[in-house]
Amino acid sequence: MLRVLKNEFRLVMQDQGVLIFFLLLPFVYPLLYSLIYNTEVARDVPIVVVDDSRSHASRDITRRLNATPEVTVVGIEPTIADARQRMAAKECYAIVHIDRDFATNAGSGKQSHMSAYCDMSVMLRYKNVLMALTNVTQAVAGERQAAAVAPIIYNTGGIVSNDHVPVGNTSTGIASAILLFILPLVLQQSMILGIGMLNGGAIERRRHCAGLDPLSVEAGVIPTVLGRSLCYLIIYALPTIFVLHVTPHIFDFPQNANVFGVLALSLPFLLSVSLMGQIIKGFINERESTFLVFVFSSVLFVFLCGASWPRFMMSTFWRAVGDCVPATWMSNAYVLMQSDGATLFQVSRHIAIMWVQCIIFFVLACAVEYFIARPRYRRYRHLAVTDPGSLLRHELIKNGLL
Amino acid sequence: MVAKILKDSLKRGAVQLVRRPMYVLMIVIMPLLCCFALMSMLSRGSIQRVPVGVVDLDRSDVSLRLEHNLSAFQQVEIREHFASFAEARDAVQRGRILGFFYIPKDFEEQLMAGRQPTLSYYINYAYYAPGSMQFKGFKTISVMAGGALVQTALRTVGLRNEQIQPHLLPYANHMHMPGNPWLNYNYYLNSSFVPCFLSLFILMVTAFAIGTELKSGLSRQWLETAGGNIVIAVWTKLLPQTCLFTVVGWAIQWLMYVVYDFPLHCLPWVMILTMPLLVLANQSFAIMALCVAPNFRLGTTVCTLFGMLSFSFCGFSLPSESMYPWVAPLGYLMPIKYYFLISTDQALNNLPLYYSRFYYVALIAFTLLPLPLIGRLKREAADPVYVP
Repeated sequence: MLRVLKNEFRLVMQDQGVLIFFLLLPFVYPLLYSLIYNTEVARDVPIVVVDDSRSHASRDITRRLNATPEVTVVGIEPTIADARQRMAAKECYAIVHIDRDFATNAGSGKQSHMSAYCDMSVMLRYKNVLMALTNVTQAVAGERQAAAVAPIIYNTGGIVSNDHVPVGNTSTGIASAILLFILPLVLQQSMILGIGMLNGGAIERRRHCAGLDPLSVEAGVIPTVLGRSLCYLIIYALPTIFVLHVTPHIFDFPQNANVFGVLALSLPFLLSVSLMGQIIKGFINERESTFLVFVFSSVLFVFLCGASWPRFMMSTFWRAVGDCVPATWMSNAYVLMQSDGATLFQVSRHIAIMWVQCIIFFVLACAVEYFIARPRYRRYRHLAVTDPGSLLRHELIKNGLL
Repeated sequence: MVAKILKDSLKRGAVQLVRRPMYVLMIVIMPLLCCFALMSMLSRGSIQRVPVGVVDLDRSDVSLRLEHNLSAFQQVEIREHFASFAEARDAVQRGRILGFFYIPKDFEEQLMAGRQPTLSYYINYAYYAPGSMQFKGFKTISVMAGGALVQTALRTVGLRNEQIQPHLLPYANHMHMPGNPWLNYNYYLNSSFVPCFLSLFILMVTAFAIGTELKSGLSRQWLETAGGNIVIAVWTKLLPQTCLFTVVGWAIQWLMYVVYDFPLHCLPWVMILTMPLLVLANQSFAIMALCVAPNFRLGTTVCTLFGMLSFSFCGFSLPSESMYPWVAPLGYLMPIKYYFLISTDQALNNLPLYYSRFYYVALIAFTLLPLPLIGRLKREAADPVYVP
């Protein structure tokens, strides 16, 4: 097993392509993603106001809207048609229309109305417009309400105050929420890509060297699988600390977990991922195909782990698919630890499930090595003896020649 | 002569396409499967019944009524009741609930005495989308709690209900969400993510197809078949893929607009005709990447990197005007950005085509972009060097 470990280590270190995946990718991707999302929240979404009331009350509303952090009033248009033209030209993303009898209604004790038309292409803009309007109208309404009941209940302040306490992600930013899910995923994807690429290289060597790989060492199935996994684990110690511990520090994401907790959580995760990589590699037989057949899965995994759409809203089928992926458990446990300050004990269920995955994946990885990888090498060796040109010919046929 | 060259190269491209199961997998099966997966995962549309808890330290008539009202909301579902703040916090940390509503001790007493008690709600924003749903539910219930008291107070002095209403809600907001009045998350997110996913496949497969020629050293023969003309070589090789991708794109549009009923307010042919433009633009982007970096691994890496990042920097979730000023323009490097703008202008908002004119120009311009640099690819194809 140690021989396999040492040999695998040598192979990785000599392979520039794999090194890029194992070491460069985990350093670059988190930085890129974090930089894109690092502004966290949308501020000052441009809106225009169509003020048919032209009164003190309507101007007050406009002023208050402009003062919110969520939106900014970029213009006051005389008609809805004018405002729509500006929205079509993307100069603004919402129109607030204040009714003609807005002030007179308020004065005569009736309800006043205003309407907002919001561009729905990006949900965050809508959210901002809704938030700003709700806050402004509720503030004004609160003042009027309090004034109306003050003489009756002998109270000049509000009636019930409410206190909105964001926990976990206290900045309520999008980066702090999404990125913490993505970080463990970067580790999973880069490791599996690297393993696939290593294996693709090994298969190509065997194809060109009559079924033999001069750079590999002979060992039993179990030592081979375990030795390789250990090798990847050791290599990943540094990237893991960087991705899961240093990145949140750089970008000021929630960081309530200590580095030892994170490492303890990562152990079953990385082990199960390294085994999963050894399962997937059984179905890839070229270096660069790894890229093609695996990269896109990252998008699926982001969704499966519940980063952008909560898992409790998915159908049982998709939840079950997500359950099979180590990153799903890792991301959720990691988010709970980093954002909500959960202890290892509190995420013990996640950890236990990842250990179970390790066992299952280990059995499967051994099966892949025994039933798929080794018979393939034997077939190559056999072909190399009986029909020496056939391996090369196979490649030419695939490329549309012959 | 030209006809024969064209015929031979096209045949070569088509044969490669058929012989490698990889191409069929990555052009037809996977894009369809993945796009379906995204839409199927989000098929419930809006987030409802977020698991939350209640900490009720008051246990009074008013607090029980509040809980009862809260449980009638579709946004949240009360999963657990806690005896203390610490218990609720523990449940949040374990991920059992995503937030809780906190009713303090002596709430009713202070309310009746007019001492302005506070209702608190703790929302775990580490889970972003359910957070805003909880906010909606919790905020409404807290505001309503005050409203109920105002109503009672005003009724005791003899006001009628229709007179009370304006006091409860002096200003009524009417939000209009043209195109997506249901606030359907599936319609919103997947209108951009699904085509972006397809773009990723196009970028990767194109880079892979050209890169394989360079890697296998067959590029010389490839160039010869095309009579030494790199433009013919590239496009005859890619044309069969273009056709296949376009058909897959249409199938995805069919899934979106017909099966899942995404908003399609423009004439259908507008989106149908935009699809081949998207395919061609993405293929050209990949060709350009290989012209700039005429090496299999580098070329595919560039395409994959941009394909993956375009989900983020094209401004589908965080609007581009909110990004760093040097990140936002990066989005305009990608064809998918223009397709996204066209689809919101046309399918969602049904604006006149006039407003989308520049986006169409940009998509078509992508197709011409690799021409000035194609010489680099030709040099590499004539004398390929494989870097593992």
